[in-house]
Amino acid sequence: MIQVQDLKIHYGDFVAVDNLSFSVKPGTVFGLIGPNGAGKTTTIKAIATLIEPTYGEIMLGETSVLHQPEQARRILGYMPDFPPVYDDLRVEEFCDLFAHAYGQSSVERKEKVEKALAQTELTTKRRELCKSLSRGMKQRALLAKTLVHDPSVMLLDEPGANLDPKARIDMRKLLRKLADQGKTILVSSHVLTELQDLCDEIGIMRNGKMVVSGSIEEITQRKQSARTLEVEIAGESSKLSEWVEQWPTLSELKHRDESKTQFDIIHSGDREEIPEILSQMVAHGIKVISFTTRKSKVEDLFLEIESGSTEFDQN
Amino acid sequence: MNPLILKGIRENLRFKHLIAAGLFSLIVCSTVYLTAFLQGSEGKFSVNPETKEWVKGEDSPVNGARNAFTFLLALQGFHLMFLGTGRVASITAEERESGLLDYQRMTPMNPLSKIVGYIFGIPSREYYMFLFTLPFLGHAIIAGELPWGNIIHLYSVFFCSVILYHLTAHAVGLVVPKPRAASWVSRIVVLGLYVVLPGLGQAGISFLSFLTILPTYFGKILPVIQEEGDHKKSDFDYESQITEFWQDVPFFDFTISPTTFTFLMQGLLILALLVTGYRKWRNQALPALSKPSAFFIYSIFQLLLLGCLWTFFDRGEASGLIGQELSANEFYRKEERIMGLILVISIFFSLSVLFILCLINICCPNRHLYLKGIQRIAKFNLARIPRIADESSGLFLTLILAAITLFTYCLLISLALDSEAWELTSTFHSLSLIPAAILMLAVIYLQASRELWFNLGFWGFVGLLWITPLLASLVIGVGWGEENMSLILRLLAINPLSIIPMHWMYEHADIGNLPEEITQNLESAIWFGLLIAGVFASVLQARLYFLRKK
Repeated sequence: MIQVQDLKIHYGDFVAVDNLSFSVKPGTVFGLIGPNGAGKTTTIKAIATLIEPTYGEIMLGETSVLHQPEQARRILGYMPDFPPVYDDLRVEEFCDLFAHAYGQSSVERKEKVEKALAQTELTTKRRELCKSLSRGMKQRALLAKTLVHDPSVMLLDEPGANLDPKARIDMRKLLRKLADQGKTILVSSHVLTELQDLCDEIGIMRNGKMVVSGSIEEITQRKQSARTLEVEIAGESSKLSEWVEQWPTLSELKHRDESKTQFDIIHSGDREEIPEILSQMVAHGIKVISFTTRKSKVEDLFLEIESGSTEFDQN
Repeated sequence: MNPLILKGIRENLRFKHLIAAGLFSLIVCSTVYLTAFLQGSEGKFSVNPETKEWVKGEDSPVNGARNAFTFLLALQGFHLMFLGTGRVASITAEERESGLLDYQRMTPMNPLSKIVGYIFGIPSREYYMFLFTLPFLGHAIIAGELPWGNIIHLYSVFFCSVILYHLTAHAVGLVVPKPRAASWVSRIVVLGLYVVLPGLGQAGISFLSFLTILPTYFGKILPVIQEEGDHKKSDFDYESQITEFWQDVPFFDFTISPTTFTFLMQGLLILALLVTGYRKWRNQALPALSKPSAFFIYSIFQLLLLGCLWTFFDRGEASGLIGQELSANEFYRKEERIMGLILVISIFFSLSVLFILCLINICCPNRHLYLKGIQRIAKFNLARIPRIADESSGLFLTLILAAITLFTYCLLISLALDSEAWELTSTFHSLSLIPAAILMLAVIYLQASRELWFNLGFWGFVGLLWITPLLASLVIGVGWGEENMSLILRLLAINPLSIIPMHWMYEHADIGNLPEEITQNLESAIWFGLLIAGVFASVLQARLYFLRKK
């Protein structure tokens, strides 16, 4: 449903998004993950018709966002990363305004507003002025407004940023439900745990580029080529660090959780090599208390990408 | 109903607002109206010629109502034109800053509907306050026996002006980067465009006067108020002169009624502002005007200038203060008439150049936009950016605008040279070549500087080059004027706007009996100004060329 091809966006000399390509299938939730400044918001805004890219193509089904923005807007729902609302409107008036702007009749509007308020659990707050709402509630009001014209493509920039834990879980459930109903959802966040349980696919961005994308399982499998060994030793660490330096497939010895005896070591060799590493370590006189292979998580991968220590070939 | 108007009503006219705004409007309006009515109704004291005693005339409710009408109109203008304009600009800018405007931009409503929604929805409270003035207006019309036809004329123009001002404010709100500044910037723009600029109507460029409701007020209402009011009894007939001035508008060889001309002028401006609003609603990053729109608007502007100045150059007849002076044979000496001509040609040239400056600022791409265009053509293997695209260089447009100005200028000086009213001794070539050269060079360096630098750099450059030498010449002129005349003139000549009057004075030095030394200084200053403009034009264009090539 969303097809982004060779998207490039400049802010003057600065390249905010650099030849980005990805696609999101209908009925799926795609998570854009990346550190601040990675280009997530710019990408979402370009899909939302709010930024004109330098070049590239964005298709929503058969509709070209660049060439048919008016048509694209009819099927788009966009929720920005901060919740500006019309302070002096009541919550139901706020939703009604957008239902009206999308050309719905008064009967239709009433029904759609009712439904959106119920979906976002704002029914009890419907008569309150938007300015009296907390940030979390404003976020919900914004989601209600996004849902009110029943868009088939939803773009949500940091949707859980201001929500309490329960509201986050509720929102996840709601988005999952909407995806199951066939909506295409693109979500951005830098809170990975939020997306891990929600998204069918993720894309990790850095410096305007998509570093890696695919389903979470696919990505973590690809990451298996570089794994972390967790080692706890007794005695001095200098022996361990000298030994690690000599072993060609080991690198980046780091203290774990500020402990003097627990270490993380990056291993980039074959999995079959791991027993040999352990035996050689012991043979070398290192007093190993524990030795485990940590299963790679998306969070690790994300942190590595953020620090620039991992490079993937995106294809 | 337009959803945005409904939103404006919901936001601004809740029960508490209805009470507060209603009471405020009612109290202020009743105070102003009753005070003016009672003061105007009272019979005036006058000296009885027989007894030489002060006697009080009869009280007149008609005079009272007519007196109050003007105050009421001012109050209505305050509500809708001052408060409403500020509110439209500040709310538009705030919503743009907060991102709320993006929500609206994403709705499938037509941009024109959105503009209508904003300019009628945001000032809904001001329109509500206006409603409270209507009973007083009714009283003033009936008690003051004001003709309904004239009132309809006036209020049609009044509402047209209100829409124009609100549209200006909306466009300012969409363009001005800082929302806090938008409210005041819009008021200043409205004041400048619709109060200060119309002042130039007094110098013969009458179409500028029709940006306000004043022509219709002076043409349609003031004569009625004078009919029976106390004003007629006054010996001072300045108002009568003003009334006469607004009765018809000279345009080429025919005349147009002030109301029609006001609608025409305001309609054109509304059209230009709608184009700006439409583009900004479509995409905030787009320049306020496209190159073809800029060309179209500027052509109409030049046509209006030509039409209004036609009779002045052709027959020496003009409207406004200059016209009155000429009609009253105040300029009976030839040198004084030539000075009037130089004044008008300088205003024509300055207005044109300042308009081109604004269009250069709007339509020429900054480095960001130009780079975007370059990236696109590189990606799609195109030979060049289309000339009318926003991303393309503005040099071509700028040269066309300058050519249009020169065409108008040449037509006007041809008229003046052929006219018996002026008895000019110069030739067409001597009057046209220097202005043509300075105009072309000035627009070339302005365009290059706009495309080389960002806003601050561009305006800083224009300020330093055009204003600082004027200020320096002012200081030197006051302190050491006589011995530094050559320096003062050279400083003045750095500003291309000064070169036109200097050149005309040089050309007519014999008529003005200018001393030989001054004439020589003028000539060298003009060449100095041309040299400076030429140096800037070539250096900046070369820099732009090499930067782009890199």
